[in-house]
Amino acid sequence: MEHIEKTFETRELTISMGPQHPATHGVLRLVLNLDGETVVRCTPYVGYLHRGVEKLGENRTYFAALPLSDRLDYISSMNNNVGYVNAVEKLFGIEAPERAKFIRTMVAEMGRISSHIIWLGTHVLDIGATTPFLYAFREREVIMDLFEMLCGARLTVSYPRVGGVRNDISQEFLDELYDFVLDFPSKMDDYETLVTENRVWKNRTVGIGVISAEEAINWGLTGGTLRGSGVNYDVRKHAPYDVYDRVEFDVPLGKNGDCYDRYLVRIGEMRQANRIIKQCIEKLPAGPVMADAPKFTLPPKDMVLKDMEHLIHQFILITKGPTVPEGEVYMGTEVPKGELGFYFVSDGTGKPYRMRVRAPSFVHASVLPRLCEGGLIADVIANIGTIDIVLGECDR
Amino acid sequence: MTTGKFIRTIFFVEILKGLTLTFKSMLTPAVTRRYPKVKRPAKPGFRGLHALAKNEEGKMKCVGCGLCGAYCPSQCIHIYTTEGEDHNKVVDRYEIEVLRCVYCGFCVEACPFGAISLSEHYEYSDYSRDAFYMTKEKLLSNWDKYFAGKKGEAYYRKFWRPQSEDFTGHEGQAKFEKVKKLKVKS
Ligand code: SF4
Ligand code: SF4
Repeated sequence: MEHIEKTFETRELTISMGPQHPATHGVLRLVLNLDGETVVRCTPYVGYLHRGVEKLGENRTYFAALPLSDRLDYISSMNNNVGYVNAVEKLFGIEAPERAKFIRTMVAEMGRISSHIIWLGTHVLDIGATTPFLYAFREREVIMDLFEMLCGARLTVSYPRVGGVRNDISQEFLDELYDFVLDFPSKMDDYETLVTENRVWKNRTVGIGVISAEEAINWGLTGGTLRGSGVNYDVRKHAPYDVYDRVEFDVPLGKNGDCYDRYLVRIGEMRQANRIIKQCIEKLPAGPVMADAPKFTLPPKDMVLKDMEHLIHQFILITKGPTVPEGEVYMGTEVPKGELGFYFVSDGTGKPYRMRVRAPSFVHASVLPRLCEGGLIADVIANIGTIDIVLGECDR
Repeated sequence: MTTGKFIRTIFFVEILKGLTLTFKSMLTPAVTRRYPKVKRPAKPGFRGLHALAKNEEGKMKCVGCGLCGAYCPSQCIHIYTTEGEDHNKVVDRYEIEVLRCVYCGFCVEACPFGAISLSEHYEYSDYSRDAFYMTKEKLLSNWDKYFAGKKGEAYYRKFWRPQSEDFTGHEGQAKFEKVKKLKVKS
């Protein structure tokens, strides 16, 4: 038989992953240049969900811009709200009363659990495990129900207010939350039984997407993505807001900076969040939930009905907004994704002159090429999951 | 490789543990509902479809001051007023673009007269966009539908925040000492 020899020419293949891809967690588009199964180049394209939140914020009073922050990272809207009101309070120079701070810390940690639970469910689902996804949504539903009980909305809560919180919590809410808190560690054990030691999971995550501590800092990573590389940085510890300096919690740290360590860090964070909620319930003081700062908070409604002065006050605060000190303010808070910062430039009117949002997901999306290049195409999915981005926040 | 690890590897111990857990949950009652047939009641204070309040004589409470429209973050409330006889304001049109509304409840918070409220109603899908353009008449009929009887006032007062007691604190606030253990657990 005649031997035919052929020389094949190989070329790079360019494929577009997303924007409609179930594993890109929203509308992220990655253009991948592939050499066989290996990723040669990865270019993220963002902006499909751009709504101009920063600009919209400049056209609304400080009070009315609050619902915009819900729509940044829509699966942990409570944390964004808390970040927003903390920044505005810093600008106004007012402080929320103790009880309100405890309530905020409590609900923010509930938001953290619900966000991490979704992350866990979707991340393992992307890699191929369906069961934890269903279990995760079971627990998340409990938190959503609690939010509905608290403020009448499940996802976009708009619950905290500048100077406090919208309404005081009810005893039934506290009962059910305490019940959840006692039960949650056993649910965490369930997830860990399914995932942590599973050999398929370990093969897919150990040693994948490694980033060293130094590099992680240079890329500007924050939150669980940074702590997976072993850097001890948590805004709640280093610049405490609300009552984080009065509750005890640990900051879980990873060692190797791979997907598996970031998984362990977030699992640890959920347990710590549960611990914080428990302490907040136990230490919850009695007292007001709105700050006594008539120039910066809406007047009590029962007084508006009776009293002309309060009525006029209501009209002015709602139409013109408060008169605020001029200046600039930056306030960073620890949301489930990382450090969410609000930066305001005030010109003394009721609307911000400039509102800037430092969104952790945006920074984290920029590190994707670094994690994916040189790896296999299947690991791109693991890498997108592990940096825990939400495109609503990334594109703003 | 230690013996323990060897045994764990060849017998798939961690996988078996996981399978045991899934098998156990097969025997626990389902947490899901068969939605259109079984409905979950909304919690009190749920922020759903809008309604314009009526007073005891069945007249619209709204005076057309425009505060709700000024406060609304999505700017979806449109109010058109004219001057009536004896120089009072007459609300000709009061319209909410429900598709743009974000259900923040700020309009209720802003209204100084308790004239607008969010109801518990949340199922209102339809085929046309016009169905979601709420006119004054539709909003007033919502009040009859969802706030029949005495329910109205008590319901929207939940949205009417802040209240005086929020600034002072009061007896009967929720606290840990009063927490009832609902289910006994370790
Ligand atoms: S609920 Fe919010 S978005 Fe909807 S009409 Fe009222 S103020 Fe506007
Ligand atoms: S609903 Fe209330 S706030 Fe809006 S125009 Fe009528 S009275 Fe004014």
